[in-house]
Amino acid sequence: MGLAQNVVFGLVTGSYIAIAAIGFTLIYGIVNMINFAYGEFITIGAFVGILASGTLSLPLPIAALVAMVGGGLVSLVLARGFFTPINHTGPVPLLLTSIGLGLALRNAVRLVAGRGARYFDTSATTYRFEGLPDLPVGSVDLLGNLFVTSLQLVVVGSAVAVFLLLYTLLTRTDVGIAMRALADDEDLARVRGIDTQRVRDSVWMLAGVLAGLAGVLIGIQTNVSAGIGFSFVLQILAAAILGGAGSPYGAIAGSYVIGLVLALSTAFLPSGMTGISSAIAFLVLVIVLLVKPSGIAGREVREA
Amino acid sequence: MSVVDRLPGGEGERAALIGGACVLMAALFALTPLVVALPSALYVFFEVAILYAVYGLLVLGLNLQYGHTGLINFGHVVFFAAGGYTVAMLSAQNPFAGIGLGYPWVAALVAGVLVAALLGALVGATSLRLRDDFLAIATLATAEIFHTLFVNFRGIFGGNVGLSGIPQPIAALATDGDTTLLATLLFFGGCVAFTFAAVRRLTDAPYGRVLRAVRADELVARSLGKSAFSYKMQAFVYGAALAGLGGGLFALYSGAVAPGFFTLQVTVTVWIGMLLGGAGSHRGVLAGLAIIMGLRLLSRFALDVTPVSASAFASIRLIVIGMILVAIVRYRPAGIWGNAEELGVDS
Repeated sequence: MGLAQNVVFGLVTGSYIAIAAIGFTLIYGIVNMINFAYGEFITIGAFVGILASGTLSLPLPIAALVAMVGGGLVSLVLARGFFTPINHTGPVPLLLTSIGLGLALRNAVRLVAGRGARYFDTSATTYRFEGLPDLPVGSVDLLGNLFVTSLQLVVVGSAVAVFLLLYTLLTRTDVGIAMRALADDEDLARVRGIDTQRVRDSVWMLAGVLAGLAGVLIGIQTNVSAGIGFSFVLQILAAAILGGAGSPYGAIAGSYVIGLVLALSTAFLPSGMTGISSAIAFLVLVIVLLVKPSGIAGREVREA
Repeated sequence: MSVVDRLPGGEGERAALIGGACVLMAALFALTPLVVALPSALYVFFEVAILYAVYGLLVLGLNLQYGHTGLINFGHVVFFAAGGYTVAMLSAQNPFAGIGLGYPWVAALVAGVLVAALLGALVGATSLRLRDDFLAIATLATAEIFHTLFVNFRGIFGGNVGLSGIPQPIAALATDGDTTLLATLLFFGGCVAFTFAAVRRLTDAPYGRVLRAVRADELVARSLGKSAFSYKMQAFVYGAALAGLGGGLFALYSGAVAPGFFTLQVTVTVWIGMLLGGAGSHRGVLAGLAIIMGLRLLSRFALDVTPVSASAFASIRLIVIGMILVAIVRYRPAGIWGNAEELGVDS
């Protein structure tokens, strides 16, 4: 398998990580918390999608919409119940609460849905690009044959649509502009008459919607189980911090870096060591934290 | 005058005495032909209690880091694992897979503590300048990196199976299995008591006041001419070394180490125990950990009388633990025995 094929895999992985990382980083920037339960938001969204497409046998795009709405509602309800009441206590209690909530939600899902994996009923068309010339450099083939499935195109397409909609939301709508104002300076935003709690609620909704979509896309690409969101939360976190915590555009860039690092390290590590690709993603994260903790496009997080 | 009145006054000194007594009794059981017979119903109690003692070392170290200095270390398990794996690799005889050098276990244990402390210094030197919650992420990522390395480097760490063939000194000395269990529990309990005495003395000293000053307001500490960074670093290294000791003892007790013993779950358990008991209070964190581990014990017994399956029961237990964490942070942020004023949290 050539480099080009792995770049395709990396872009696909980067796409669903990016959708989730945007939600994660918006919560970080506006609610000022690292939400460790975000993986469970993704899991719940994915299961709502499974219910909608499997039990109610809705077509996949409708099921994805249902998952997004469900994710948004669940996110808002959980935030109202657990995070909003302790908003004033600062980032550490919020982080600890999200860890506890995540543990409880993950096991609640496991309790209800069991340990097995479920699959979306999908059919994919595979587009093959045969006959591309090999471009070997040492033992690495830089081009080679590659294939793209229609599902992979759906994932990447959804991500691009999300990016465009997000840009429109943040620059063209009142609530989006209010979000940016709040992320920038909460007191000033309040002075300007912005209802900060309502903006926070909309951020939670938006993050939940994105988590729902990410859940369904991850589900299409792999499978849906109680631990699916949790298995991605560290990569999402790495992507968000890599991009500069709080910056949605940085998170997009960070996600594709993480996606490509994961795919390329899986491809080029000697067999038997492919498992350490996630370690490499975290190593990137640690190095970023040490060298430039503000990330690709973010604010300074180093103290004093 | 009763015996109790003649004991030294301080909590720390008393703990040291209890520790001495425990170790002596452990030696008595291990070195003499004396045997005990434990009722088999109590085995599970002893197993959990021994694990509690090991985690007790972890929570005392973590309390030094978070409770006194305010460092959020979410990768505590990595130092536990560093101690365990160092001891395993240095002392194991012909492990199934991975490295086993077969050195004496005493040297291995010392090396385990040193390696954990060194790793702590390395992580500390690079990450301690980060803001609170980013330190949490950096340490968490470090722990995940090492966990992945343990799983994937089969030739060195034995992969998922881990390393076996580690000497079990107490088992080798004691006459039979029951006596081993009791002696191990006594010895580990003694280690916890000694550690308690040491950290108590450290934090009662002016040194401890500086740590708490760094926690409360780093700028104030620095304006008084205290190098906040080097105090943070020392607290971090002490905590890491204690976790390494816990890991080393655990390896020498179980005779094997595997990635499954060193998961994120360990960090979460220790953290919740600490927060429940009250960060900053040495007695509080040990008691909080006892409650959380007691829940584990209780659930083992409760499992036998309830109709749900084992896996469902495990899920329910973790839901309860998660909700306990949420509830403490919200309703009693200083924990049960903590001092809200000292921790700077509103109750």
